[in-house]
Amino acid sequence: MAEIAQDGGGGHKKGGKVRSKKMSTRIDFTPMVDLGFLLITFFMLTTTLAKPQIMALVMPDKDIKLEDVEPVKESKVLTLLLGGNDKVYWYEGITDAKLDSTDYSAEGVRQVILNKMDKVREQFQLETYKKKNKDGEEIEYKDGSYINVIIKPTKDARYKNLVDALDEMAITKVRYYVILDVSPLEEEFMKNPAGGLKFSVEEQVDAATK
Amino acid sequence: MPKNKPKRSAPSIDMTAMCDVAFLLLTFFMLTAKAKPQETLVIDTPSSISETKLPDAGTLTVLLGKDGKIFLDMTGQHTRLDLITNIDTAYALKLSDEQKMKFANLGSFGVSRSQLKKFIDLPSAERTAFPAAGIPVDTADVNKSELADWIHRARLAQFRMKQSGKVKEEYVIIVKADRDTPYPAVQKVINTLTDIKVNKFNLITSMEGKAEKK
Repeated sequence: MAEIAQDGGGGHKKGGKVRSKKMSTRIDFTPMVDLGFLLITFFMLTTTLAKPQIMALVMPDKDIKLEDVEPVKESKVLTLLLGGNDKVYWYEGITDAKLDSTDYSAEGVRQVILNKMDKVREQFQLETYKKKNKDGEEIEYKDGSYINVIIKPTKDARYKNLVDALDEMAITKVRYYVILDVSPLEEEFMKNPAGGLKFSVEEQVDAATK
Repeated sequence: MPKNKPKRSAPSIDMTAMCDVAFLLLTFFMLTAKAKPQETLVIDTPSSISETKLPDAGTLTVLLGKDGKIFLDMTGQHTRLDLITNIDTAYALKLSDEQKMKFANLGSFGVSRSQLKKFIDLPSAERTAFPAAGIPVDTADVNKSELADWIHRARLAQFRMKQSGKVKEEYVIIVKADRDTPYPAVQKVINTLTDIKVNKFNLITSMEGKAEKK
């Protein structure tokens, strides 16, 4: 269509009369194409960027019974209490638990988790092994990643803290983690760390199944 | 055609094909681009490293604002129509067919059942200004919780639609909360979901940006 009137107006026609020169009917498509591609670029960029990511989360069933669950080793447990002002309080195990606090940076809570993994790996003499994931990349897995992380957001925490904590689970490849409510004993522990954690299994079960 | 004279053509390029392709692509992208739905609730999602993309269809989204207001949004016109018909009969809201149709095309909503009729009747431009209080939640008794009821019925509606072949998939439950939403509000939603046996759901996050990491 852009090639209409190829010869650019009537030149030498029969009759020999001098006629007024016809204007070329050719249209320059360049600006139109330019605009077209500009819009394509715009729509391409906006469509792909508009799609948000999702993060899967599986919660434990509420009807779970104490008899049905297998107890975990205390030394494998790491509890993260998500506090206000973007702080994470954490303690290991139950007996003689010491409360410590950190933040959500890569040097903060991630190191806490990795240190715990190393500790568990050493204690239980677990090896690291390499395995290909579904994309064919070779990834180093540690048996130590079988630590149990309990995430307990307090009422001062904001949603971002929870997502950050879950993100750390994905980054450090923690296999077993769960989100539970903070028990009153832990609230007391946070207020008065020197007093130590008084832990009751019944209360934990209550909190998980209520 | 006689071949004796080599034709001299102007040294111009035929733009037609390029133009055709350009506009074909343009049409495609314009049609696939989704018009941004009306933002009744402004939500700034937190970031994560997750790379799973949000599915296009078959999602039931619980939106949770900064102030803890709960809104609901679901895909599929057939399902929404079925759902509102179901709700209408169950609670005798006395909605007309036109109102039901309006609901089917509505975006997200965050009003209690009693206010729903009023909300639907508003012209779309005024809906954002409607003082929506969010969908009421009762964490003590799940049977009284409107949110739980909506989600439960919506899932059933989607299931019915799947059986009749109008949709392909069952609902994926999505929670979209603001990064500054206080945890107790999030907890309410999570508790409601687990109460009605939705133990697996997804959290919407945005792409991890370097600038965002503190």
